[in-house]
Amino acid sequence: MRNRILTVLGISLVISSILWIIGFRTTKLHISFVAEPVYCLFGTRTTETLEVCASGFPITNGLITTVIINLLLILTIIFGVRNMKLIPQGFQNVVEAGVEAFYNFAQGIDRKNVAKFFPFCASIFFFALYANLFGLLPGVGSIGTCTPYDGYEKPEPSIYDSWPLNCSSENQETLVPFFRAPTADLNVTLAWALVSVGLIQYFGFQALGAGYLTKFFNFREGFMGAFVGILELVSEFVRIIAFAFRLFGNIFAGEVLLVIMAFLFSFILPIPFYLFEVFVALMQAFIFGVLSLVFMSLATISHGDHGAEGAH
Amino acid sequence: MTDEGLRLIAAALAVGLGAIGPGVGIGIVFNGALTAMGRNPEAEGTLRTYMFLGFALVEAVFIFALVIALLIAFGVV
Repeated sequence: MRNRILTVLGISLVISSILWIIGFRTTKLHISFVAEPVYCLFGTRTTETLEVCASGFPITNGLITTVIINLLLILTIIFGVRNMKLIPQGFQNVVEAGVEAFYNFAQGIDRKNVAKFFPFCASIFFFALYANLFGLLPGVGSIGTCTPYDGYEKPEPSIYDSWPLNCSSENQETLVPFFRAPTADLNVTLAWALVSVGLIQYFGFQALGAGYLTKFFNFREGFMGAFVGILELVSEFVRIIAFAFRLFGNIFAGEVLLVIMAFLFSFILPIPFYLFEVFVALMQAFIFGVLSLVFMSLATISHGDHGAEGAH
Repeated sequence: MTDEGLRLIAAALAVGLGAIGPGVGIGIVFNGALTAMGRNPEAEGTLRTYMFLGFALVEAVFIFALVIALLIAFGVV
């Protein structure tokens, strides 16, 4: 096994070196911080900027990918539960194993309220997992439409210039990809963070009633208690930013890392980083789901004696 | 020194200084987890999960710095 891996790596190294010497090198891709509109519904786009439409509803590449991932998730569930059997087989087994593994872990965190928290956290976990992994597929971020752009920078001449389907440099066209990982779009992660933190407050109020507020406005324990309460209040808002930027930052930085590694030495240098990004994709989806679960279960626990009084 | 040069220095400083704290933090996380695994090997499965949870939380701090550095480098802020 080890020999086989070394052989494959050696062959890749030789092939990539030869291609490198011939001149097949990755050009510096246009990295965008935001999801760009592919098409403006009922409107026109400007050439001044790639990031917004002049008028109309922008169909961004992040939006297209979100719809695709929703369809993929729905198809997974439909095919997974089509012929439900008591003893699962084939694809049903895979789906059940995935859901059950997350459910068992959630049970370890909060056995009492797991049925209440699980649907939201599992949805986020599986959506984020699909989204992160979709962003790693070849073609995502490199296939798209050519759009005229005023801030066009002429790329360095490369062997690909004469190839068909290239964006023409006479019309100053820049590539806008069709697909972009939804989690590499700050709007998506911020929306999830807002929903997640909102639900945390909702479950807190549901479990403790008005007593939940004593966690934030606690004036019965003197100055120190009041100060800690204010800190708790601030940390709720920091939580939104942390949730949103953790997922966005990890996935976006991963994309930039892969592009830069492909630029430095194509074909072989990105391999270890690609593996690392697969790990990060799984890890960050897991973190988002599990952290919301942990915060939800923390919110339902009354804060000290005073919180318990309020809950009665 | 041009604006572009200052921008690159700022981006490099942001990501470099931002890596110090999380670097120490990740070391402490794995130190604690490995010590606990050595003392109680039966709990390895649970410990590994929480170890990666802590690792990701600490790593997030570095990712914030990285995002700020990318924002500076691409001229967004």
